[in-house]
Amino acid sequence: MANKKAFGGLKGREIMVLGIIAIMAILFSILSPTFRTYPTLVSVLDNSYYITLMALGVTFPLITGGVDLSIGTGLVSYALIGGYLIVHQNVPVAVGILACIGIGLLIGLFNGALVALMDLPPFLATLCTCMITRGLGPALCGGFGVSWPSAIAEAGAFRKIFKFTTATGTVIPVGIISMIVLVIIMSFVLDHTRVGRYTIAIGSNKEATRLAGVNIKFYHVLAYVISGFFAGLAGVAYAATYATIYPGSGAGFELDAIGGAIVGGVSATGGVGTIFGSFLGVIVICLMKVGLPFIGLQANWQQIFTGIVLIAAVLIDVVKKKE
Amino acid sequence: MKKKVLAVLLSAAMVLSLAACGSNGGGGDDAASDSGTESSEGGNKGYSFQMIVKSFQSTYWQAAIQGVEQAKAELGVEVEANGPANESDIADQVQMLDDAIEKKPDGIALAACDTKSVVDSLSKALEAGIPVVCFDTGVDEAPEGSVLATVATDNVAAGAVAAENMFPVIEEKVKAATTDAKVRIGEVNQDATALNIQQRGQGFIDKMLELCTGAGKKVAVVGNEFYVNATEGKVDEKEAEVIIEVGVPAQTTVDLASTEAQKIMSKDDTIAIFGSNQTTAEGVITANQTLNKLSTDPEKGIIGAGFDAGTPQKEAITNGQFIGSVTQSPLMMGYEAIVTLTKVADGESVSDIPMDGYWYTKDTMEDDNIAPNLYD
Repeated sequence: MANKKAFGGLKGREIMVLGIIAIMAILFSILSPTFRTYPTLVSVLDNSYYITLMALGVTFPLITGGVDLSIGTGLVSYALIGGYLIVHQNVPVAVGILACIGIGLLIGLFNGALVALMDLPPFLATLCTCMITRGLGPALCGGFGVSWPSAIAEAGAFRKIFKFTTATGTVIPVGIISMIVLVIIMSFVLDHTRVGRYTIAIGSNKEATRLAGVNIKFYHVLAYVISGFFAGLAGVAYAATYATIYPGSGAGFELDAIGGAIVGGVSATGGVGTIFGSFLGVIVICLMKVGLPFIGLQANWQQIFTGIVLIAAVLIDVVKKKE
Repeated sequence: MKKKVLAVLLSAAMVLSLAACGSNGGGGDDAASDSGTESSEGGNKGYSFQMIVKSFQSTYWQAAIQGVEQAKAELGVEVEANGPANESDIADQVQMLDDAIEKKPDGIALAACDTKSVVDSLSKALEAGIPVVCFDTGVDEAPEGSVLATVATDNVAAGAVAAENMFPVIEEKVKAATTDAKVRIGEVNQDATALNIQQRGQGFIDKMLELCTGAGKKVAVVGNEFYVNATEGKVDEKEAEVIIEVGVPAQTTVDLASTEAQKIMSKDDTIAIFGSNQTTAEGVITANQTLNKLSTDPEKGIIGAGFDAGTPQKEAITNGQFIGSVTQSPLMMGYEAIVTLTKVADGESVSDIPMDGYWYTKDTMEDDNIAPNLYD
């Protein structure tokens, strides 16, 4: 098991990604005077919350050697349904949030059943649920966009979990605290509990794990349930950070999270990866999303550049394996 | 105890599913109920129309459907509305259009996602003798005689409306600008590919450039290549006193739209910013949550204006973050599309109906010709 490491100790890959983050931050700061300001830092963090949550979850299916493509359209769908319940059915915000997470959990369970019990290839199974979730939200909510209560409304208090504005107008990105806590908890789950160990074992050698007497079906399903649960949380974070949830959007969000995880050292073929690495990878992605426009790179070039960075990250993996 | 919990959960689920059904107002449910009313109200015209919208992606279409409902009630016609999940699902929409033609309705109202892709289907409609009225978006290359009228916002004029209303507020700042102390006016456009966004974005740039030039200032346009190249009468950035900076996000998502807005609003010389649709206007509002720079007083901060509506934008206007926004009239477009189709079915001759963009502010939001268009 390549994933063994002392708790709190950093692996080489994580140190490398930290280095990339530092270099990018310095580069953007030199190239754009407006980048090195406090509001930009807040904006990078705002951008990172929903992607971080998706990445924390999707790391589990990735490590089993699978993937979960349904998280992007899923999170939009869950946020849409939650928001619809709050705005149009007048349920309390807390119930809307629970619905958002609950539906995510159910879709995760469905993904897990398709992959682990019915042996569908993960790519296909979650591509199908990606389509289902894309239609599900609009279908249940009459097809229209919905805005969760705004920060100034009393019901918008949940937004303060992610961004707190003091009486003097200073914005504090408190969401990062929740993210760090979740990263620590999920790191512990992956590295020090049976759930984590078996997730890695399934990705390393499924047959051997089964022969060792592990109920691999259960743990395999669980990996997708975790992914779905975090997609639900990501839906809440997305609704809290931005104004209106648009039906039909969300396709491609999953790639930011999966890309982040892979940059952070999760192997695309399974068996290897850390939660902290995924988190750092997401920060790289978010730095690029915010930084590239700030240095004046226009839309098309931003996408080209992001693609190249991802290739570089995967190449490092391939080269390492050959060694 | 367990049974009670189960009972509560089940009844909650029932209520929810009922509510969900009820809210599907614009969809197929209505068609079913309408065929019922049609037979009972024999005196009505009883035409049956098909309507294809771009998607139900934004609340914009909610207002359009409201207009359709109004026309249905007044004229006693039947309308079945359909649309793809996403505005970019072009193939889905073409399929829906073909299905609509198969149903042999008395007419079709179409808001095309992609104007080129629907041309073949429009030929089929022409052959089948089914009249088509385009709304929201016109189809320039439609076969002769297939599209009888177009009901659409004049987007160039609508973009110009924003510039015309923004300029008086920032006029003093613009007049005080020099090549050493430039002022910057920002615009965020959702993309550089959709015709209505292109026209609207360009309408704003051209009008703002004209007004600033009229005030004796040289203007440069920087940012997205498409809009920079499409603008005439600009000067080099070094010589300019006024800079119009155009931001376009890499993808049409709210987070990238807000990053584009933040990039422009972070600059010290920025005096105003315009978001040219609901997504980008909300991008400006989201960016402001961190920057806190928007103000209705040019001495105190950045002047903001938007386009279309939605709860966040309406709140920004009531709270004095935006001086105002431009609204199209989706309600009137939906209404006029059905009225026009009915006229066609009656054998009357029809012509294009250009719709205005209306400027609205805190004080005019409740006006009769504005309020119905300001969807949540």
